[in-house]
Amino acid sequence: MSRSRTPVLLIAALLAPALIGLVVFRLYPVGLAISDSLFNMVRGQQIFVGLDNYLSLLTDRTFWKSMQVTLWFNLLINPIQIALALGLALLYVQNFKGVTLYRVLFLIPIGVSLPTAVIIWRIMLTQDGLVNGLVGIAGVPAQPWLTSESLALYSIIAIATWKGISYWMIFIIGGLQTIAPEIYDAARIDGVKSWQRLIFITIPLLRPTLLFVLVADVTINFLLFAPIFMLTQGGPADSTNVLMYEAYKSGFIFGDMGRAMAIIVVVVAILLVIVGLQFKLLSNREARS
Amino acid sequence: MKITQFAIAAGLAAGLLAGTALAQEKTLTMIVIEGGDTTAMQAVVDAYKAEHPDVAINLQPYPFAQFFQVAELRLRSAETGIDLVYVDAPLLASYASRGFLSPIDAAIDTSALVPAALDAGRYEGTQFALPINNSAQVLYFNKALFEAAGITPPAGLTEGETASQVEVDTLASSERWTWEQVAEAARALTVFEGGRTTTYGFTVEQFGELYQLQPFGESLGSPVIGPDGYTAAGYLDSEAWTKGATFWGNLYNEWAVSPKSLGYGEAASLFGNGQLAMFAGGTWNLPILSATDVDFGVAPYPYFEGGSVVTPTGSWYVGVNAASANQAEAMAFASYLTTSDAGTKVWFDSLQQLPTYTPLLDTISTSADYDAFPQNVFRLGVYDSLNTAKARPVTAAYGQLQDAFRTAFVDIANGVPVADALASAVQKFEAAASRVAQ
Repeated sequence: MSRSRTPVLLIAALLAPALIGLVVFRLYPVGLAISDSLFNMVRGQQIFVGLDNYLSLLTDRTFWKSMQVTLWFNLLINPIQIALALGLALLYVQNFKGVTLYRVLFLIPIGVSLPTAVIIWRIMLTQDGLVNGLVGIAGVPAQPWLTSESLALYSIIAIATWKGISYWMIFIIGGLQTIAPEIYDAARIDGVKSWQRLIFITIPLLRPTLLFVLVADVTINFLLFAPIFMLTQGGPADSTNVLMYEAYKSGFIFGDMGRAMAIIVVVVAILLVIVGLQFKLLSNREARS
Repeated sequence: MKITQFAIAAGLAAGLLAGTALAQEKTLTMIVIEGGDTTAMQAVVDAYKAEHPDVAINLQPYPFAQFFQVAELRLRSAETGIDLVYVDAPLLASYASRGFLSPIDAAIDTSALVPAALDAGRYEGTQFALPINNSAQVLYFNKALFEAAGITPPAGLTEGETASQVEVDTLASSERWTWEQVAEAARALTVFEGGRTTTYGFTVEQFGELYQLQPFGESLGSPVIGPDGYTAAGYLDSEAWTKGATFWGNLYNEWAVSPKSLGYGEAASLFGNGQLAMFAGGTWNLPILSATDVDFGVAPYPYFEGGSVVTPTGSWYVGVNAASANQAEAMAFASYLTTSDAGTKVWFDSLQQLPTYTPLLDTISTSADYDAFPQNVFRLGVYDSLNTAKARPVTAAYGQLQDAFRTAFVDIANGVPVADALASAVQKFEAAASRVAQ
């Protein structure tokens, strides 16, 4: 009789810190959100209301408007960020004169904390700010970047993109460096043009990296809160009122935790579906190839 | 023998324990707003401590921007660690309806408090909080900028002149400017140079806030919401509010006399720099402005031509956390703070906010100490609080109303059509309020 070779206890002990962290900081809050979404506070009493909070969202105009803003925001920001991050990464790995300066410039946004970046942008985007000064030189009248219904969401997309792309660029650079240079050499000998190299070699081989960046970026942008909280508070006329901000307002300003948690659960559910689809689409293609 | 000894020892020990329990200090905890309010509260606490050495009061200050959220979360969790709470008048109904506050001890004599202020501390007939002070809004104007533009400034109180309560009453009742006069002067005072505004004609201190702007519609005849506390249709989107909101929108767009999105305290600093000719703001700006070089005057809060005079009012209250284990001690301090000669005097001397304690109001009206500028501005506050002050609506959904109102008025200043913004505010408020009313 020999004892099992697998040291179960040791594995359990080594995994425990991570698993406990996962339960305490991930699963428990999710469970709490779901359970809170089934209750309402009425006259100081927690009342079980079942799915009422979800049902009332169905006819809630503010919620649907906010859903629309969230989806439109994500439909724009994610492709823009990933395309720009890819472009920057491709430039980053080139060797040309002044590349070091370029590299430093594009790494700066990573070193700036999000609130600081947002405050600086707010100052630059005021009526008398730097941005209007620059467009003024081109003869364009001063624009209400953050205070007009038609511009505010795009200004936030621009700020979040400025802050975000260098970070994603780093991952893509990592991915680019895993592609063996021999493949490019072979392609060059075969007379493949540079745009063909990008489409047929670089992007397919980057797929695992791009999948990660896509999933992580979509998640972060779906849950984006700070710039909206700091710059527009969901306005003007709800044009930047994403679901995260609507949930915050409901829970922390109105004290309506039931509705806030129901919104959060809906956001997480949508996110799970989107991420699931991304995995499925990208891994299917991998299976085919 | 042994038994006797033991009995004596036990008796002594019991007596000693009881004695220490009696002499033991009770510690009360109070959450307050950081800054001047905390300084003033500490002064009252020190004065109270001198009379009641057995009670210690520990203040927990929070920045204004976070106070409401902290209070909401800590009260909601029925935390026993808080005894006394600083309560903003309009949130009282929300707190009381959810059982956060204890009813005020009926033995506390509140007869010396201004009735309107006392009423705002009541919810469904029960007193849940006591008023600490009141607030009054006035129109500040820069005399030099008016002179430079060749415009006659509003009648008001100025440096170097004294005014009795009777004179102030006359000023407030018959020489008050209308908003139309303010707008006309503001357009003449605004200076637009080199593609930017260098001097603004007018602004309100609290950008888009209900407290500040409630008189806009009320002066023209319509309350913000209906008496049930949950209906805004027919009120906030009424003709009166549409007219008031259109005036507000014109200040920012058509006339462009007001700076957009001013933060907390920015109106006073623009005014102190001489870049702003007039602003409607609280009397709490007096110490700040007196410290600047600007030669300014103070006029009564304006009203709309043909409308009635309505001025903002209401301020901070003190309540006792329903979960507190020290109800009696907390009530005793709340009473000292709001209904005693000593407590109200210490508070007023430190914070310079219009009192709600009538003997102190009488002193302001009659004492020669208040004849000179800027102390006589408080006499304007006395007049308004007795004649024109209109409290904010009492509703358990006040937070929702304040947010919907602010959103609408910020949007209007940013160019969203008035009818759309008001309709959206009505819809949002009613949807959110219906969840409170259920």
